[in-house]
Amino acid sequence: MNEQDIMKIFSYIATSARGCIDEPKIYGSFRLVEIMSKLFWMLKSNNLIANNKLNRIIDKIDEKKYVCVKDEKKFIGLLDEVIDDLFELVD
Amino acid sequence: MNSIIDIIIKRRSIRHYKQEDIPKDLLLELVKAATWAPSASNMQAWYFIIVNDKKVLNKISSFSPGLLGNPPNVIVICSDRNKAFNKGGKLGRDELCLMDISMAAENLMLLATEKGLGTCAIKSFNGKAIQKILELPDYVSSELIISIGYPMKEVKPPKRKTVEEVSFENRWGERI
Repeated sequence: MNEQDIMKIFSYIATSARGCIDEPKIYGSFRLVEIMSKLFWMLKSNNLIANNKLNRIIDKIDEKKYVCVKDEKKFIGLLDEVIDDLFELVD
Repeated sequence: MNSIIDIIIKRRSIRHYKQEDIPKDLLLELVKAATWAPSASNMQAWYFIIVNDKKVLNKISSFSPGLLGNPPNVIVICSDRNKAFNKGGKLGRDELCLMDISMAAENLMLLATEKGLGTCAIKSFNGKAIQKILELPDYVSSELIISIGYPMKEVKPPKRKTVEEVSFENRWGERI
């Protein structure tokens, strides 16, 4: 993981922050879980994280996140599930 | 051979791509299809920037939150607002050239579908950043990014409203 990786993540976050002012409200929630996924895979590819439970949560996000444009209720359900899953991991 | 309606129904917004480059000739065919879209007063106030340089693509991606699934190529569709104004006045500059670009994008995406490619039309990007990355002149604006690649998997179609739900006959409220 190098400085350029961080720059890309920051660019993504700042662009998302600007976009969220004009874009549909639910895109904001989508961008936040997307950034979770981006960060996780960046950390994992650099051997900076190795938590299988968290890996499964991210897999779940990656598998189901696009439901946000098709079925808002299902997307909200996914966010609730992710929070429940994370609750078990946080000390 | 697929009929046009089959292709229209088959097209999906793809957000998972195989890392397989698309031959430039094929990308140029897609642009050709786009240029045969109708345009107001035949203004054709559009430009198509094929992006196949990974470095440029990565930079575009950093400033385009809507660009998902790591596509191997994108085509950035741009408007020439000066040309649109000269030919179509204020209406041409502010509205018609955008409608024209939308029709061009659909042509491009339908041909891509017929060729076995996946696409997604993206508006979630930072126009100023794209302007700088692609070195666009002031009078040219990036309007849509079309991600293009071979789809990683088949995507189920989302629910569609029925024709009856969205159509009236002769006047508002008169159901078909």
